[in-house]
Amino acid sequence: MQTRDQTTKAHSSLAKQILNAARARQLLSGDHLPEQVFATLCGVSRTPLRSAFKLLENIGLLAHRKGDGYFLIVDTGSDTAAQEHLLDAFSGSLADTILADRAARRLDDMPSVSFLIRRYGATRSAVLNALTILQQDGIIDRVPGQSWSFRPILDTPDAVADSHHFRLILEPAAILSPGFTLDLPKARQLRLNIQDALLGRISNAAFHKQDTDFHSLIALGSANRFARDTLLAHHRLRRITQKDLSTPEFRLRQAHDEHLTILDSLERRQFDVAADQMTLHLRLSRNQRPDAANRGSPPMARRNR
Amino acid sequence: MNRPPIIAFFPEASFGAALNCVAIAQALALRGAVPVFVCHPGFTGVFAEYGFKEIHLPQLGQATNPADYWQAFISQHLPHFDLSPLGQLPVYVSPTWDAIVKTAIAAEDGLAKILAQIGPDIIVLDNVIMFPAIARAGCPWVRVISCAETELPDPAVPPYVSGLQVLDPKIMAFEKAYVVATGQAHSRNTAFRLTRGLPSLPPGQFMEPSPDLNLLLSPTAVRYARANPLDQAKFVYLEGCIRTEAQFDMPVLPNNDGPLVYVSFGSLGAIDTVLMTRMIRVFASITARFIVNVGGFSESYRNVPDNVFVGSWFPQPSVVAQSDLFIHHGGNNSFCEALFFGVPSLIIPYCWDGHDNAMRAEQCGVGRRLGRTDWSDATLRDVICAMLADTAMRQKLAANAAGMQAVPGNKVAAAAILALLD
Repeated sequence: MQTRDQTTKAHSSLAKQILNAARARQLLSGDHLPEQVFATLCGVSRTPLRSAFKLLENIGLLAHRKGDGYFLIVDTGSDTAAQEHLLDAFSGSLADTILADRAARRLDDMPSVSFLIRRYGATRSAVLNALTILQQDGIIDRVPGQSWSFRPILDTPDAVADSHHFRLILEPAAILSPGFTLDLPKARQLRLNIQDALLGRISNAAFHKQDTDFHSLIALGSANRFARDTLLAHHRLRRITQKDLSTPEFRLRQAHDEHLTILDSLERRQFDVAADQMTLHLRLSRNQRPDAANRGSPPMARRNR
Repeated sequence: MNRPPIIAFFPEASFGAALNCVAIAQALALRGAVPVFVCHPGFTGVFAEYGFKEIHLPQLGQATNPADYWQAFISQHLPHFDLSPLGQLPVYVSPTWDAIVKTAIAAEDGLAKILAQIGPDIIVLDNVIMFPAIARAGCPWVRVISCAETELPDPAVPPYVSGLQVLDPKIMAFEKAYVVATGQAHSRNTAFRLTRGLPSLPPGQFMEPSPDLNLLLSPTAVRYARANPLDQAKFVYLEGCIRTEAQFDMPVLPNNDGPLVYVSFGSLGAIDTVLMTRMIRVFASITARFIVNVGGFSESYRNVPDNVFVGSWFPQPSVVAQSDLFIHHGGNNSFCEALFFGVPSLIIPYCWDGHDNAMRAEQCGVGRRLGRTDWSDATLRDVICAMLADTAMRQKLAANAAGMQAVPGNKVAAAAILALLD
């Protein structure tokens, strides 16, 4: 039986399919989205399709006219990324929203439950549930009274450097731990997604999603339960809090090539080679941008760690 | 020549020069040349991320703990940014030139060895000071003037870093003060140049035009009518110099209404977290979205408003292209990117060429100037709202941007550089 979270994700995924199909047909604001046509295009029945239409209506991309069905109220070709972001933001859980706001430095170190209820217009139980999820992920701690206290997250250059160093230690080790098993169907799908991305221009947001998918897949393959769980929680933190990183496109392409090379080695079961390739990939991915540099102020390399 | 030409780039250790050179190198690579970057150790990896080979100068002097260095820098210089251009001469410009000369002398021998190792066909120097090793490398060299056009003196152009207009009665006093402020550094540099076979330069000047090619990052809209026109065979103007960056997908903010304003004072300006915090408080009262570059100081910000997004680095060309207003420090790269994409500039200058570009933006009707200290919350809010509503300025900028985009500066630069090999 699907959980509520899984159902929401399924609707969100279908909503993206609908948007992509509408884009492929270059549909414009005012165009009708016939249910039967889109159900066939997306390979689903009308019931889940209607739920996805409703989701798109809720975020302001479709309008419903009684008796006539759903109509676009935006041009699908415009602001594609914003539309998908909106969809992600809406369908994300309250825990993810709180974490994203924390990463954007909108929340105090110790937010109170009543503040969060007011901010998100959510019920007390929903907020407590979200905080419990974040507590389980090691992101927030309960403190006496009605407050919670955030632990450090990836919101400063030093924290990002620590994250990189941590991954450098653990990710190759996760591959080398006896019993590593790659989920081959997921790896195949990820490979196709990366190859598809390499055909066009790559945005940082799209790369970041595929990058965290890739590294989460590696974590999932580890037979060491502690390495697996720790890495999965860390990649979840990266996925939510680091999605607005900016890296030149050359490096994004290079990093995707490295992802594919590591998958090649894993599929050949050359785990020692894959672990070495992972080390190299992570070293090259370390952002080495100077903290600051300008006339009269010599540039400084980041501290060696 | 049977092999692709090797073009050695030596940008100054500033993001403006570095990324300007990246744009030209990208255009050269598309034409089959091989760009190689000679870079300061602190810039390790910056050029490699764009796909270019890097060769690093040896570390000059002892490495300082970054936190200690910045605390000292902020304590010493932050108050100086509030001074007038004239007031900055003895306390900021003078020690900066001292440091530039000292660094250039220290880098010389290492640079000569690296150039011999690379064996370039052409050297591109984007800096404010000459390196004798480049003149002696035995190949043509290109000077890139990526600061304001004022860097190249002319009777009809106001003095460099003065923030003055042509015919301003204060020009003579500024020029005298500039020569005094730079006197010690100039003497030291002259002595160094003479030992390396280069002639002395006029007072206040640290770099000569190249006898081969000079590239001026100065779009038509803000260009000066010079009293002594430049030789078109050796001086080429660039209409912006925009690098190719990854697309920046604009984050959806909790309060996502209104036009988009991008705010960046460069990596140096980001040190003034107090000023930025005050500005962000004002942004919260405006119906617009604000993308704010806070450099390496993100931990200084708390309770960021729902219509503001702070980040440590943005692919600036992609963000500017999506913006309705660009608030910046007047660095020439930022100013030219705003012009290239037809975006009005609100310039709050800190130092150096920022003063010149702020004055020129206002004079040419492509932006407004605001002093660092002479605004209240209400005046900042009013000027932002007025600029967002200024359709006449936007239309003028859009027409100008179309002209600039028709002749991208980095492609013009690449063609001119490769023509030196003909």
